[in-house]
Amino acid sequence: MYVAELVIHDPIGLHVRPAGQIVKLVKDSGLEILLGKKGQELISAASPLRVIGLGAKAGETLIISINTQDLAVAKDLADQIQELLRG
Amino acid sequence: MLAGRGVGLNPVSGEVFVAQSRAVLPKPSRHDGNQAKQMQDLFAGLGAVSADLKELSSQSSALGSDIFEALQLILEDEELRDAAVSEIQSGWDAPTSIQRAVETFASTFVETEILRERLADIRQLARQVAAKIHGVELGLRLPRAGKFVLVVRDLTPSDTAEFTDAVIGVIASEGGPTSHTAIICRARGIPLVVQCPGALTLKNGDQVLVDPVGDRVVLAGSLSLATRAVSFVPTSAKPVISVFANIGSVADAAAASASAATGVGLFRTEMLYLASTKSPSSIEQAADYSEIFKQAPGAPIIARTMDPASDKELKFLGLSAGELALPREFLVQQLEAIEAARQTSGREVWVMAPMIAGELEALNFVALAQSVGSFKIGVMVEMPSMIADIPKLQGIVDFLSVGTNDLSRFLFGVERDRGVNPELLNHWQPGLIAALAEIAGLSAAAGLPAGVCGESAADPIFSIVLAGLGFSSVSVSPSEVGQVRNALSSLSIETARRVAQAAIAGKTPAEAKRLALKVADELEG
Repeated sequence: MYVAELVIHDPIGLHVRPAGQIVKLVKDSGLEILLGKKGQELISAASPLRVIGLGAKAGETLIISINTQDLAVAKDLADQIQELLRG
Repeated sequence: MLAGRGVGLNPVSGEVFVAQSRAVLPKPSRHDGNQAKQMQDLFAGLGAVSADLKELSSQSSALGSDIFEALQLILEDEELRDAAVSEIQSGWDAPTSIQRAVETFASTFVETEILRERLADIRQLARQVAAKIHGVELGLRLPRAGKFVLVVRDLTPSDTAEFTDAVIGVIASEGGPTSHTAIICRARGIPLVVQCPGALTLKNGDQVLVDPVGDRVVLAGSLSLATRAVSFVPTSAKPVISVFANIGSVADAAAASASAATGVGLFRTEMLYLASTKSPSSIEQAADYSEIFKQAPGAPIIARTMDPASDKELKFLGLSAGELALPREFLVQQLEAIEAARQTSGREVWVMAPMIAGELEALNFVALAQSVGSFKIGVMVEMPSMIADIPKLQGIVDFLSVGTNDLSRFLFGVERDRGVNPELLNHWQPGLIAALAEIAGLSAAAGLPAGVCGESAADPIFSIVLAGLGFSSVSVSPSEVGQVRNALSSLSIETARRVAQAAIAGKTPAEAKRLALKVADELEG
């Protein structure tokens, strides 16, 4: 299990377009990937509606959890998702 | 003149075409018990709309294409499909089920203004699926030939994709400036005025000017009346007042360093701990602050003690949004951590307190901060009661900082993010400009430097107004530093003063902005 923090830099927050791009990455990876805010229940990052529904705003931190033993792959995925949150 | 929110830079004038919906959806209803048939209808409808989106995506620009692709992914969301299936199982027909399923999700969404606009797009998707199943055409009847200004309540991204060259401008009574429709129109160079309630009074054949920069529609207006967008060309290496950055994390501090900001006007310390469920220790805070101070640009770095008010929530303190004061022992602990970080980072750090109501609270904060560390000490001016006490702060505080967002919220008694009357939260609101003029005047008389760190300063022309009113610095997010610095480097302080005087004369937000732009444009020639 790989867990990391992501920061939303996109000034309009986590909106539909990046959410779609994240979901695509997640589905292509075939891995179970969860996203969410600290202290709250994580949601499936393969569900665009759940990802958008987080309502994550600029400056907020999200937790990402990737269910895999291959930490290099997981870190690479997390980095790519972080890149999508730059706006 | 009809007021709204403009999107785009180029005005157009033309004849009105009031777009009507092609059909209305049948009312929600229950099915006859044949669940298998309903499931089949549901998946056929989802598939058909998905295929339409795919088609639109392949015909659009890169930006539009991403949007249609994302909408397509939403239709393929398995959680959404599961929710729709269980609505069918509880007796609703397929078209009703998909719409109910979207509502189930909508109710779990965190409420933000941007999400509300997104939700409208997602609800529209469900309506399109329902229409497919019913075999009716939704969407708008659009002009195919000629040149028209389209008048609508609201548009879907699919409507926008169907625009031919016959649509030269759009006026919408609803909608929002960040909706997908707005993004697509912007990319296609079609000017919009949205949130324009007066649009409903327009009739086919009316001649109108769509003036996006002026945030308005002018009946029988010609292009020569349009408000020109001012592009600011820096003529000096140094802006007329300092431009600082607002930060809340290490990443922001790094972004601010990469920008043209010469310091940090607002470090929102609470941002680091918004999600924490336990109180961060003094040592933990000192380490976090030190890292940020080391990354941040220039001097000073103004750290604001944690602000539990307005839209933020500090869970670990058990304080809900709206509570104004930090517990004293926590404040002492935080000031100690800032002082420790100041020493380890070796940077010039100033501290300020938010939500100070008047002289007495300011005195208390200054005494506390002086006993803990050696920084310049300031307070924020965001509660209207503070304004009258500014003269009494001479020789007591070192600086003032104005938070325009909270100031307008308190001045006009409106909640942020609760679109009661968005006009009142517009920073061009004459009441706010008058209050800012008073604050700048009183601060100058008391010999106190005063900066502005609210959203308003990110509007380049408004940053010029702030400079002209007499503020000594503005602070904006790192991504906006460049444009604000350009604007403030494009003119002299005398010109800025004349722009500010023009804005003060405005009787409405739209007029204040238009007058300021006009003077800036004339003087820059």
